[in-house]
Amino acid sequence: MPTTRSILGRAGLLLLALGALTLVLVDAGSIWLGSKTQAYGLALERAQQIRILAGQLQNRLDDAETGQRGYLLTGAESYLEPYTRAIALIPKSFEQLRPRFAGTPDQPLFDRLTGVIDEKLAELKHTIGLYDAGQHEQAITLVRTDRGKILMDQARELIANLVVTSDADIRRSADDMRWGSATLQITTVAGSIIVVILVTGTGFIVAGYARQIERSSEEVAALNRGLEERVQQRTADLMQANEEIQRFAYIVSHDLRAPLVNVMGFTAELEVGIAAIQKMVDTVAQKQPELVSDDARLAATEDVPEAVGFIRSSTAKMDRLINAILKLSREGRRVLTPEPVDMAQLFAGIVDSVRHQTEDAGAEITVQEHLPGLVSDRLVLEQIFSNLIDNAVKYLDASRPGRITVSARAQAGRLIYEVADNGRGIAASDHERIFELFRRSGTQDRPGEGIGLAHVRALTRRLGGLISVQSEFGQGTRFEVNLPRILPAQTESVES
Amino acid sequence: MTSAESVTIVMIEDDEGHARLIEKNLRRAGVFNEVVHCESGTAGLKYLFDARAVSPNPLLILLDLNLPDMTGIDILGKIKADDQLKRAPVIVLTTTDDQREIQRCYDLGCSVYITKPVNYETFSQAIRQLGLFLSVIQVPKVP
Repeated sequence: MPTTRSILGRAGLLLLALGALTLVLVDAGSIWLGSKTQAYGLALERAQQIRILAGQLQNRLDDAETGQRGYLLTGAESYLEPYTRAIALIPKSFEQLRPRFAGTPDQPLFDRLTGVIDEKLAELKHTIGLYDAGQHEQAITLVRTDRGKILMDQARELIANLVVTSDADIRRSADDMRWGSATLQITTVAGSIIVVILVTGTGFIVAGYARQIERSSEEVAALNRGLEERVQQRTADLMQANEEIQRFAYIVSHDLRAPLVNVMGFTAELEVGIAAIQKMVDTVAQKQPELVSDDARLAATEDVPEAVGFIRSSTAKMDRLINAILKLSREGRRVLTPEPVDMAQLFAGIVDSVRHQTEDAGAEITVQEHLPGLVSDRLVLEQIFSNLIDNAVKYLDASRPGRITVSARAQAGRLIYEVADNGRGIAASDHERIFELFRRSGTQDRPGEGIGLAHVRALTRRLGGLISVQSEFGQGTRFEVNLPRILPAQTESVES
Repeated sequence: MTSAESVTIVMIEDDEGHARLIEKNLRRAGVFNEVVHCESGTAGLKYLFDARAVSPNPLLILLDLNLPDMTGIDILGKIKADDQLKRAPVIVLTTTDDQREIQRCYDLGCSVYITKPVNYETFSQAIRQLGLFLSVIQVPKVP
């Protein structure tokens, strides 16, 4: 799973990079085209200006020549006027045109034009100078040499060339622009296609991702459900096993009880009988001592009563033990009635019930505030926790003031109640043993049959719970009771 | 009406010791009726159904529930299903104190349900009191 995910991630990144690259290319293309368009605009403007200025120059040259010719023909000053005006204006035309050719491939052409026009103007000036000086014939002759006409033709041709080359310039940049725009169009279309492909690809990847995530979460949910079912199954199994053990204990203890009643009953009968015999032995011993043997007297007065005494004390003990088992199994057979239980209140009751002992011992019981409650059997909970608190109070360490704390925490839908003390503690080897019936740990200086914790464990299991102990000898003990938050109601009672 | 002395007490009890202790304590309470001891359910039923035909005496049945061959409940059911035997008082005297068992016995028509006390002193006292009780109750004659 992580491999596919990283591959998907890498592919996604690659696609994103491609998308970004396409965008950059399209952008660069349009910027380039923009610059081309600008260049085209500039070229267009320049060409137009050149066309206008060149036309002006041509007109002025024509005016100058016309003026010269008219003057030379007529000698009238009025004819010279277009010449003088043109002469004054032509340098201005040059001034305007020169910067437009500076540094361009057309500069040599322009330089040649200026040269030709300078020569033409010099020729014009020369002829007019000759005419003014009265040498009319020489001036006409000079015109007749055709030099002026040739120069004029040359100038006209050069001007036309300049216009043509600037027009070519326009075409060139127009072509450039057309090409650029076509290229940009292609680039844009290609880019768009790529972007569409990328978007689709990314969409597929995202959809795949989403499907995968959905599948994973479904799997997790299914696993969770399975786990819950398993836990429930286990809890049910455990409760059933516990029930069976309880039933077994009940039957066994019940059947043990019947013969015990006989043993106790006939021991009592025996006692009554031996009392009668004892009386008789006494009477006979008084009246006819020789009839009573030492053995008979000893048997009647000491041996039999002693034996009966042992039988009675043993059967009494056995009776207590059987009663304990019966009590345990009877508890196990009681139908549980789950109800919301306020644990803070429950513990307050238990603490009150042992107040006498704790005050005598100078001990203190602290119950955590806002103790969470649960839905379970109140009576069973009371028995479990009053047993634990009783034990904590019973087995305090006399060398230090007793501190008993009750707390709770939630864990995975269950609640863990903790009863901790700083008492005598339990040796590690006894941690399991203390939960066994009739087993006790440590110094046997307190009354008890070794039933309490066995009872607590059986009860905890009935509630679908677990009990564990952490203890260090001489330090203190901590019991943890792990219970389900809600005890399911029993649909049918336990069969007897 | 029959005098209390003529009533035959049929005790169906598999434990011989218990039977003996029960009889002893009944005698101590002053009950001197004939006590017939049946050690199994089968024997008990056989006696009852035979006695129904021959015995002139009314019957009172002391019944233990935990029997090896059948449960006392079955026996109780059979007794109460029989037209003649159903009037005989049945005292269930057993170790079981299960509420459902007690209920079932009364439902089936037992007269009294007594749990045998475990402690012998209490046990013998209870049997003696039962004896006193037996000496005052009236028992219908089996027709």
